[in-house]
Amino acid sequence: MGTINIANSKGRDAVVGAQSVLKPMRVRWVDEQGRQIQSVRLFMADLSHDLAALEARAGGRDKIAQALIDGDPEIDLETCGSVLNQTRRVFIDPDGQVVHEVRQFEIIKNPDGSERERRPRKVAQPNAATETPLKWSGKLMKKKDVYNKFVFSGKRQIMHVNGLTYDFLFGMARELEESESLLLMGAGPKGNEPLVLTRGGQQFRGFLEGRTQGNKYCLILHLSNMELKAAPVQTACE
Amino acid sequence: MPDLQIPLILRMLTQHAGIGSNTIIVAKPLVLAFGGVEIPLALAKVERSDLYGFVEVETLDEKGRKCVLAALAEDGKSIIPPGGTAIASLSPEGNWLEKKSLIPTDTQGNRIAPVASSYAAPVNVEKTACIEEYLSHDIRAVYQISSEGNWGALLDELKKGTIYTFPYSFRGGLEPDAGFLLLAADGTPFLAVGSPTQLEFVGLEQSAAVAEEEEGARESEDSIDFGML
Repeated sequence: MGTINIANSKGRDAVVGAQSVLKPMRVRWVDEQGRQIQSVRLFMADLSHDLAALEARAGGRDKIAQALIDGDPEIDLETCGSVLNQTRRVFIDPDGQVVHEVRQFEIIKNPDGSERERRPRKVAQPNAATETPLKWSGKLMKKKDVYNKFVFSGKRQIMHVNGLTYDFLFGMARELEESESLLLMGAGPKGNEPLVLTRGGQQFRGFLEGRTQGNKYCLILHLSNMELKAAPVQTACE
Repeated sequence: MPDLQIPLILRMLTQHAGIGSNTIIVAKPLVLAFGGVEIPLALAKVERSDLYGFVEVETLDEKGRKCVLAALAEDGKSIIPPGGTAIASLSPEGNWLEKKSLIPTDTQGNRIAPVASSYAAPVNVEKTACIEEYLSHDIRAVYQISSEGNWGALLDELKKGTIYTFPYSFRGGLEPDAGFLLLAADGTPFLAVGSPTQLEFVGLEQSAAVAEEEEGARESEDSIDFGML
């Protein structure tokens, strides 16, 4: 379970737990005798048996078909079908050689695919569990007004780690439940930056919801990176 | 997103329906049964890239040539391009098994009955959901919906803020997703598809066990900026 540094409406902050709430589907695949099967990853072909390599050896793409009829140039009989365990991700250049030093750029494109900007790639750093807590912005939005404005694609359940944080979070959940609202949460000193939960992860806007049931609570951080609205109509090109 | 070569007739339909020409049209309609009337719906998926654009990452070597990702095998010399691996199912003895011969079961060993595609037959729309139930789902896809049929009664209910829910499965499978029919704040009717989450009420005794999180790979005051790229 991850952590999150969060503040309440009185400016008190604490580092508490942030739990994923994905509901995994538990499926066991069995054979006809009811025995558990195993899934493995197999090695099929490497670069030296790829289309480009075959083309180079055959002397042209139109000659590959005859080569395939005459033999099995696309298969390495020593390795094809072997079980793959550990592999490493590498970058390769157009010659098929591993590259050890790369530069990455982000190309920002408009919805129509045209290029808007090009810049060196910046890896987003996590900002939900830093020394600066996620502030109580005070921007409360009624649930009935906001549920259909954004696409809530992810969530984390905020949970206490000891008795003090139980009171802290229960109070937040009760306050939010009574207001029937979601609270906009942001990161950074001003509390207006998008949330990044993992290094290199997506950026989200956070909306905090609170629910209580007796002396139990459920504090949910809804994550959204998209509004729920119609796509703009673009002029079709003839 | 590459320019889709949409046939002229589809382009005319999308313009008539007021749907962006760069959205993907699902050809077969989803038929809903509401109030005794069958309503064929056309779905157009709306993605983040349709609203805000998208980011491509380009990787260059020292000579400025484009590089691609591949996998390096355990031998340290075999480079496996994308598509160079396959997933296989093996019996306990290590024999090859065809996927279609496998039987899906739950953790108790009970066979799981696959669900049919929602496009195979009209889907009954009668069950409603409250806002909290909708918010308890992770929404993974949204579709702008339109219909040439008689769906005034359904639209009227959506305009009142009613959220309809039904099991939704695009091609059939082991478990259906949850489909929600609702009206967006801008007045556009949508089908939101998502999956339920494991939210639970916790009391004092159920404190979280916090572990070090492994690093993964992976305004204005009045308006919220979603165009952050």
